[in-house]
Amino acid sequence: MCVGLPAKVVTLKNGMAVVDASGARREVSAELLDELEPGDYVMVHAGIAIARITEEDKSETDRIMEEI
Amino acid sequence: MSKKVTLAHGAGGRQTSELIDQVFKAHFANPELTSDDAAVLTVDGAKLAFTTDGFIVSPAEFPGGNIGKLSICGTVNDLACMGAKPLYLSCAFVIEEGFPMDKLEEIVTAMEKTAAEAGVKIVAGDTKVAGKGQVDGVFITTTGIGRIQEGMETSGFKAKPKDAVIVSGDVGRHGCTILLARNEFGIEADVTSDCAPLWGTVKTMMDTTKNIHVIRDATRGGVGTVLYEIAEQSNVGIRLNAQDIPVADGVRGVCGMLGLEPLYLACEGRLVIFAPKEEAPALLETLRQGKYSANAAIIGEVTEDMPGRVVMRTEIGAETLLPPPGGELLPRIC
Amino acid sequence: MQETKKKSAREIIESYDGPKLRIMEVCGTHTHEIFRLGIRKILPKQIELISGPGCPVCVTPVGFIDEAVMLALEHHATVCTFGDLIRVPGTAKSLAVARSEGARVQIVYSPIDAVEYARKNPKEQVVFLSVGFETTTPASCLAVKRAKEAGLTNFSILTANKTMPNAYRTLKGSADAFLYPGHVNAITGTQLCEELARDHGISGAVTGFTASEIMTALAVVITKLQEGRDFFVNCYPRVVTKQGSKSAQTIMEELMEPCASEWRGLGIIPNSGVRLREAYIEYDAREHFHLPAVQGKPNPACRCGEVLQGKCKPSDCKVFGKGCTPLHPIGACMVSSEGACSAYYQYGGMENE
Repeated sequence: MCVGLPAKVVTLKNGMAVVDASGARREVSAELLDELEPGDYVMVHAGIAIARITEEDKSETDRIMEEI
Repeated sequence: MSKKVTLAHGAGGRQTSELIDQVFKAHFANPELTSDDAAVLTVDGAKLAFTTDGFIVSPAEFPGGNIGKLSICGTVNDLACMGAKPLYLSCAFVIEEGFPMDKLEEIVTAMEKTAAEAGVKIVAGDTKVAGKGQVDGVFITTTGIGRIQEGMETSGFKAKPKDAVIVSGDVGRHGCTILLARNEFGIEADVTSDCAPLWGTVKTMMDTTKNIHVIRDATRGGVGTVLYEIAEQSNVGIRLNAQDIPVADGVRGVCGMLGLEPLYLACEGRLVIFAPKEEAPALLETLRQGKYSANAAIIGEVTEDMPGRVVMRTEIGAETLLPPPGGELLPRIC
Repeated sequence: MQETKKKSAREIIESYDGPKLRIMEVCGTHTHEIFRLGIRKILPKQIELISGPGCPVCVTPVGFIDEAVMLALEHHATVCTFGDLIRVPGTAKSLAVARSEGARVQIVYSPIDAVEYARKNPKEQVVFLSVGFETTTPASCLAVKRAKEAGLTNFSILTANKTMPNAYRTLKGSADAFLYPGHVNAITGTQLCEELARDHGISGAVTGFTASEIMTALAVVITKLQEGRDFFVNCYPRVVTKQGSKSAQTIMEELMEPCASEWRGLGIIPNSGVRLREAYIEYDAREHFHLPAVQGKPNPACRCGEVLQGKCKPSDCKVFGKGCTPLHPIGACMVSSEGACSAYYQYGGMENE
C-alpha cells in the first residue's frame, strides 16, 4: 500500500527536513510533524515525513510477545 | 512481442533476450554466435576472444568515471571473462553537433589511461558527427580482441552443482551512481561507480587456479540478471544467502527510498564467478587482495534442484525466489 | 528471563495446528514483504494468507489510466506519476505506450516534486496522478497547497484517492482477521479498527513492515483467534498511535471531501474516496481540462477484481502466467510489484510446481 522508509532527521528548515537512510539523503516535507529535532527518526512516504518513530522494531516486538 | 521497440528492450532483462532471440539470432545464427560475453574463435590455431559493446550513458560524466573509461572497461572486461588477455581495441564515435571539444578530450584521455592500465592498444577508429538532437552528446562503440590463456575454458554453460558463487565486490554501484547523477529524484548519497578494467583481477585469479567454470561481467541488468542467465544456460539452480550479498550503505539507502533491488542495478566493474567449492576460499583470498575486488564475497552455491531459478535464503531463514529480471527499472513508491 | 519460557512468534506460527484460519493482509506492501521474506513458506497448511485490496495501483480502475493517457496525448499535458502506474494497461494503452508515442511522462518520487516541475516549466501543463490511500493523500494535499500558495496555474491533480473504512465493511467475511496497513493507521489512528472489532465483529492487528513485525502480528492474530473473541491489537505502536496524525487529518479535511469511488473489481463503493473541495477545484485536472466522463473497459478474461476480494487466487485465473505476465500484463495486479498476481508470479513459482 505504502512503502515507508525509516530515516533520521539531519537538518530542519522552513518545514522541510533533510533525512538520511543508510547514507541516502533527501529533502522531505516535515509539515505534518510538530517539534521535530535533528536526530529524530521518522517514517517517510512519497516525500513526506508521515510519523515519528519512537522505538526500534526489536524492542517493540519483544514487548508485544511478552504481553500476549 | 509488442510491435515497437521500447526502453525495456534495452534494459538487459527478459525483453532484451526476447529481442535478441526473435530478431537478431533469427537472422544471424551460426555456430560461433555467442551467448557469452565474447565469442571464442580459433584462427590458425590461436584461440581468440572477440567482442563489441556500445555505450550511450547519460550523463557522460559521473562520480568514478565517464563514458570513455566505461567504453574501455566494458570491452576489456568482456574479453577477460573468457580468460583472454585483451590485445587490441577499435573505437567508433558518434558525436552530436555542438559537443564541447574539451569534453571530448576528457573522454579520450580517460580512454587512453584505462587502455594503458588494461594493457590494451587502441588500433583503429571511426568518427561520425550527427546533427543536433540526433544523438545525445556522444555515443561510443568499442570492439576488442584478446588471446585466451592456456587452460582457461570459462562459459556460462559450465556452472555445475556445488559450485560456489562469488561476486568480486559490492553490487549495484554503477547503476546507483547514474541514477543519482541524473538527479531525477532529488536524492544524494556518497556513491561512486565501480567502473574498472578487470583483466588484472582475472589474471590473479587464473594464477591462483584455472579451475574456474564461469566468469561473467555483471553490467546492465546487474548481478541478478547474470545469475538468471547462467542458471538457464547451465540448467542449474542457484541458491543465494541474502545476508552475504555485499551492498554499500549508500546503495542500500537509495534502493530503500525508491523500492529497487540492488541485485538488478548495473555494475561496470564486478565479476560473477562460478568455481568448484574447494577452489573458492583461495580465489576469495586472492580477490580480496586486489585493487578492485576487496569486498569480494561468496554469496551462494549452485544446486541440482530448481534448474533455471535463483532462490534466496532470506533473513528469517526461509527460501523464496529472487524475482526474475523485469524490464525498465521503475521506482516503486506506493 | 522467566521460569516458563514463552514461545517465540515463529514458534507460535509454525506450531499452529488448529482449525483453518484465513488472514487477509490488506496492504500491498505487506503482500510484497511476505513474499520477499518467504513467510508463506513457514506457514502451516491451515493458515491461509489472502492478499487484500491495499495496492493503490491494483484498485485504480482502467478508466483512470484512460483519463491520464487522454491528458498526455490529446491535451499535451506533462503527466507526473509514481513509477508503478507507468505499465498499468488502460483500455487501449498504458502510459508506457503513450510515452513511446511522444507523451511527456515524468516519474516522480513525491507529489511535491511534481509542483516543483510545474514551477520550473511554466509553459507546460503538469498533472500529477493522485492515487493512494490515507497514507499518500496528505502528500497530494500538501502539493496542491503549495501550488496555490505559489499561484501556479499550470498544475493540477487527477484524483483517484481512496479511503479504507467502507472497504473494510465491504470485505467483512472475506477473512477471519485483517493485518491492517500500518502506514494508513499512522495517519488515521486506530479508533476505526477498534470500532470494527467492538461493533462489527471484524478482528485484526495493525502491522509494521519488518520481518519481526510481520511475524509478531501473525503470532498475535493466531493466538487471539484461538481465544475466540473479537479483537484489535496495535502491533506497530512505534509508528501508530490511537489518534494518528492530526495535522494530516486536518489538511485532508481542509482540501478534500468524500466521494463515491470506483475500485477495480469491487465496483463503485459509496463514500470510499476523496476529491478536491470546491475551493480548490481549479487544481482538479478533470475540471481544469473539462474531461468527458470516461468509462474504461477492462479485459474480460482478467479476474483481478475477484483476486482483490480474496475470492480467487491469482493461479485460478485462466490468463495468469499465460497471456498475463509481468512483461505483458493484462490486469493491474500483475503490474504493481505489490499486486497479488505479480507477487505470486515472481515469488510463487516454488509453490506452484
